[in-house]
Amino acid sequence: MTAAAGILAHNTVVVALGVAAVGFAAGVVGSLCVLRKRALAGDAAAHATLVGVAGAFLATGRRDLATLLAGALVAACAGLGMLVLVRRFTRTRDDAATALVIGVSFGLGITLVSGLPAWGYANSAGLEQFLLGHTAALTARDAWLLAAVAAVAVAAVAAILKEATLVAFDAAFAAATGWPVSGIDYLIVGLVALMVVAGLPAVGAVLVTALVVIPPVAARFWTDRVGTMVVLSGLIGLAAAAVGVAASAARPGLATGPLVVIAAAGAFAVSFLCAPHRGWIARRAEAARGLTVRRGDDEGEAGR
Amino acid sequence: MTPPTRPLVEFHDVTVAYGRRPVVWNVDLVIDSPCLFGIIGPNGAGKSTLLKAALGLVPLVGGEVRFFGEPLGRVRSRVGYVPQRETVDWDFPVNVMDVVLMGTYGRLGWFRRPGDRERRLARECLDRVGLADVASRQIGRLSGGQQQRVFLARALAQQADIYFLDEPMAGVDVRSQERIFHVLDDLKAAGSLVVVVHHDLRTAAEWFDRVALVDRRVVASGRTIDTLTPENLQRTYAGHVDVLDDLAQAIAARGRTP
Repeated sequence: MTAAAGILAHNTVVVALGVAAVGFAAGVVGSLCVLRKRALAGDAAAHATLVGVAGAFLATGRRDLATLLAGALVAACAGLGMLVLVRRFTRTRDDAATALVIGVSFGLGITLVSGLPAWGYANSAGLEQFLLGHTAALTARDAWLLAAVAAVAVAAVAAILKEATLVAFDAAFAAATGWPVSGIDYLIVGLVALMVVAGLPAVGAVLVTALVVIPPVAARFWTDRVGTMVVLSGLIGLAAAAVGVAASAARPGLATGPLVVIAAAGAFAVSFLCAPHRGWIARRAEAARGLTVRRGDDEGEAGR
Repeated sequence: MTPPTRPLVEFHDVTVAYGRRPVVWNVDLVIDSPCLFGIIGPNGAGKSTLLKAALGLVPLVGGEVRFFGEPLGRVRSRVGYVPQRETVDWDFPVNVMDVVLMGTYGRLGWFRRPGDRERRLARECLDRVGLADVASRQIGRLSGGQQQRVFLARALAQQADIYFLDEPMAGVDVRSQERIFHVLDDLKAAGSLVVVVHHDLRTAAEWFDRVALVDRRVVASGRTIDTLTPENLQRTYAGHVDVLDDLAQAIAARGRTP
């Protein structure tokens, strides 16, 4: 093996590990997001990122990952801010407001990213890779950056898991007992924005929200405890990211994002079918035995 | 114990609106001693809104609510809350013990996780509502009455001095209702004030020491026996013909209570 091939292989492995770390963190953060029923917030943030990528490039003339992702994070937060403003001041309902922000910000982002070369920014080529994700272009340095962001996000979830679970389960009780519900909500959605941005290089703006949403939904089938769900969701995200990166490395023509999402969807399908108790097969088997999910028998217990 | 000079709860000229539509207005209500207190009225009378306003969950348009003479922010840990059962997703991945432990979070504060002391307390609270043997069950696999008792146990774990319960008997079987009322009675005996938003006039006459009849404003309030009079009930439920039968029975039941 030549030295160049050795470096290349080393680079691929480091990038795969970095992206896997992002997959883990996205699954962990996504659990809170899905439990709080804010799955679409991630989508709004994701579609807004392209504007930030293009904006960061225009503002600095640089195209290193840290600069572009910083721009993406600003744009993601701005997109979420727009969402709040549209809801509050135009009395548009949540779903319509989300669709509106997704469409407008994405249209703007595509216009900028695809227009830059035409407007004479010759070295802007490659920005469109943030659309569908492309890990081949990532360096080991980039991978370390992504891994660091992932570590921060996981640490944040570990720190606020108790508070976030309380708010996700019963926001009224949380508020009545003095917890700052909107502050905790902003923190959850902010972490989602962070993970959407970190997932951008590998999975791309269009699909990155799937990395935040599919793993927790799949994980939910296997467990009835939040803590277990968070870890399991992280592992599913990690596996999906690793499989996607490996598959696109084996077939260089394929974008990474779709492969990651297909892998995650595979995990979902297996979970939906095979999980004990909540899985389709288990539920069918239970129904066949004439045992529908047993609700508590009040009669027996209240008499004690 | 609170000195008797400071009322446990006082509503002063409270008005609450959703958007521009007022829901309850000019509510004046003072509760100065521990008791079982019922907030009674027809559907849509603003009973739950009043309770939520007291807890700071919906903003007041006017007036103020004080607890032990203080604003809520300074005495939050002394106020327990049982929300309506339908407000949460019972498919949520937590078990009975997890939910009851949430009652201890207010005292624990940021970042501290419940430990042995909290678990012991939660177990004790579950025992009081008769659910000790389902502590590890996912909350969706409980009957409505059991779910309501889980919420009550969570409020008990708050170890408060005042408890607010929002329709705790809605969709609850008779045995669970009895059990819940007995727990509330025990709280009163231990010196707590228990305020219950309630819609069933029969059980109201039977259990509450004092009531406020509410139909967007306070129609009447005071000792149950003096307040649940035919005249007051007619005034509260005017235009709610569907409850006339209930009314008749409630008035009959009132005759039986001492």
